[in-house]
Parts: sequence; structure tokens; C-alpha cells
Amino acid sequence: MRHAIVPPYLLARIAATREPHLAHAAAAARATLAAQREYRPTRSRLRLTIDESGSLVAETAPAPDRTIYDAQGRETLPGVRVRGEDDPPTNDIAVDQAFDGLGATFELFWDAFGRTGIDDAGGTLVATVHFGQDYDNAFWNGEQMVFGDGDGEIFTGFTSSVTIIAHELAHGVIEASGGLEYQGQSGALNESLSDVFGALTEQHLLGQTAAEASWLIGAGIFTPAVEGRALRSMIEPGTAYDDDVLGKDPQPAHMRDYVVTDSDNGGVHINSGIPNRAFVVTALELGGNAWERAGNIWYRTLTSGTLSRTATFAQFAAATVATAEAEYGEDSEEVAAVRAGWADVGVMDDGRDG
Amino acid sequence: MDETGSPEPEERAPRGRAALLVAVTRTGGFAGITRVWTAEPVEDEASEWIALISRCPWDERLDLDPHGADRFQWSIRAQCAPDEEREAELPDRAVTGPWRELVDAVRMWSTGRPQTA
Repeated sequence: MRHAIVPPYLLARIAATREPHLAHAAAAARATLAAQREYRPTRSRLRLTIDESGSLVAETAPAPDRTIYDAQGRETLPGVRVRGEDDPPTNDIAVDQAFDGLGATFELFWDAFGRTGIDDAGGTLVATVHFGQDYDNAFWNGEQMVFGDGDGEIFTGFTSSVTIIAHELAHGVIEASGGLEYQGQSGALNESLSDVFGALTEQHLLGQTAAEASWLIGAGIFTPAVEGRALRSMIEPGTAYDDDVLGKDPQPAHMRDYVVTDSDNGGVHINSGIPNRAFVVTALELGGNAWERAGNIWYRTLTSGTLSRTATFAQFAAATVATAEAEYGEDSEEVAAVRAGWADVGVMDDGRDG
Repeated sequence: MDETGSPEPEERAPRGRAALLVAVTRTGGFAGITRVWTAEPVEDEASEWIALISRCPWDERLDLDPHGADRFQWSIRAQCAPDEEREAELPDRAVTGPWRELVDAVRMWSTGRPQTA
């Protein structure tokens, strides 16, 4: 016996509608029905609103299924289960920040791209907090998200910025979409896409346009002792911090400054500055909400099924242009904006000649 | 972002001659910030350190974490004599047991005492 808020006949009616203004609701209903055919207990919500003509609009939307664990300072995963989807907030800030952050990320992926969670089938989003002692990191281990509390001297807790939570969930989405090998340029693209979805989650949550957004990743993660605003600046790579202990933010903003190194899987967290800036320039060229067009192009490129696991910056750039052409037309402003983004960072010639 | 510094035995030890040198370099992680910790214990402490160092499986070769993202990577180097240097590259998941004890000891040495420079 399945538990569903919306009866199947209503879902089927909504799914079958051809009304253009209900396209979103129809897609939601189809997703819910599709998931149920696999006997997956996908959660869904029913939203009732009144449209401009005074008609009652019933809209179904998938809901996240989150489980938060507490590692209690150890490095054993997943730890002790402390909050499930139907549980109220705890008094543990990290637990609730992780829960809310996963929810905000789920909302972005659903609302902007019609994706239900990491596996696009409503699977449980699992996160562990309080990992290790003074643990200065957050990571995706291939199955779940993990957050340390920071050392209190340089880093505060890693759940304090929604961009970090969304970044880790996005690594799961990237892996589920075919993946990008975590080395060199494909690894930097993997990192950049996670930053893109991290920033978009925050903008979507706050209702910010591309022009209003900070484009910072991990703002507020440093303690006051550190000279820095954030871990990375997508709009001005290389300017996020400049500190006696940590040194200067090493991210390049252009191909001529690409960093060749054996460290950090070939500089995946360093050279991601280049595709990060390409995305921001594209989003600023288009204006408005970055997740609607720039974000859509990047997401469709990732999930096209044709992106190589070892894609270079140039190959990914060409793929985003192809996606924009397919989605918006060859002579569209979206294609021009994508070309402008990659030209700004020296990955593509300025594409006025086509 | 510099790689680990010179392995030359140091000449500026203020508390007597350093008997050995252990350097821990951590790269990667979400922040992508390289951290380096070094310990240069003096003769009196040498036997404890040599015991710590010799308990670590230096010859074991481990692949990087095949799945996931934002994991730390560790590079550990120990010099117990001018011509005796050991080095290991470790994925984050391998920093347990004797490796963890050595890493924690180096970090404590480097941050828990007045720095020499």
C-alpha cells in the first residue's frame, strides 16, 4: 500500500494536461507517477493556488527525503541517525543547517531543472555532520555528504554556508550523470559545476538575480582571525582571501594563468576558477535569474549523456554552445552569452565569426 | 601553494640540534588550501619519534580515493638521518592507525610549541 497525498487519478489528470500554463505541474505529476511505477516511495507535496483567472490550480511537486547522521566527533560513517524527513528541528545547529541546506538544494534542482534529488528518482539524501575532530573539510564520499566542524581557529563549521552543502550534493548529481574524472581539467570542471550549483542554490533560496549575487563560495566559513571573505570567488577568482597563514587565493581567472601542479588532483580546486568565471560572465550577459538560462545550459550539458568523463575545458565549452543552440536557437542571445563567457577566460575565441 | 620545502636538515634549531625532521603536507579538500606542518624534535625526543615513524607502513602503495570529491590528500616525509629519507602519499581514508598518530604528533609539535621561524 503506497502512501500518497495526491490520489493517482488526480496525478494522471494533471500529467495529461496540455495546458501551457500547467506545463510545470504536468511535469511534476509525470515524475511522481514515473517514480511510483518503480515502487519507489517518492515523497510529494500538493500546492493549491489561485491563478489570475480565479481558477484553483493543483500542483504536485516532489519533496526531498533527507536523513542526517551525527558522527559524534569520530570518523566512522554514517554515524547515529539524528533527524529524518518528518522530524522537527533539533537543537543542533549543524544538523539543522545540513537538513535545510539539502532541502534548498533539492528545491533548486527540482524548480530549475525538474530533477528529483541526486539520482533523479527521489532517493534519500544522506548527510553526516560533526565528522572527526577539528575536521577542516566537507566532502562527498561517493554515497553521501560529510561535514566537519572546522578547527575553530581558521574554519568554522562547514554547514554554515548553503553553498558548501549544495556543492557536496552537486558532486552526487555529477556522478549520477555520468561523472567527470576527478583529475586535471575534467576534475576542475567537476569542481566548477559543483560551485555553479552551490551558488545557484543560494541565489534561488534568496531570490537573487545574477547581478545581485555575491558569487562567493563558502562565505563566512573563515573565523574572524582570517583575512578572507570566502573560499572562492566565482566572479573574481583569486580574490577570496589573502592571509598570513593561508596565503593568497590561488585561483586563476584566465587560461593564460592555468596552474600546472600534482597537488589537489592536478589543481581541481584551483583551475576551477576559469570555468567558474565563464559561467558568471554568461549569467551576467543574460541577466535575470542565473538558474533559468545559464544554469539550464550548464545543467543540460552535464546531463546530456554525451559529455566525456575526461572532458577538457575546450570540449565542455563547445558542449555548452551546442546545448544553447539546441535549447534556444543558433542565433539566440543565449548562444552569444555562452561564447562571451568562454571568450572572457580565454577558452574560446570571441565567437562573432560563428 | 608551494610544495613542501627543502628537506635539508635545519641549522637554526634554537633548542639544540634537531635529531630528525618529519613534514606533513595536506592538499585538496573542499578549500583546496595546502597546509604544511613540520616537526624537528631534538635528541631527547628522538626515540619516541623513531618508534612512531617505524610503525607506519611506508612501503604500502595506495590508490587515491576512487569515488567522491573534495577529499584530502596527504604527503608525509620523514628524515631520520641525512641519507635516510622516507616518503609516502596517502589518500584521506588511509590516515588511520599509526599514520594518524604520526600526523597528529607532527601537527601538535608544529602548532603546540613556539614556532622557530
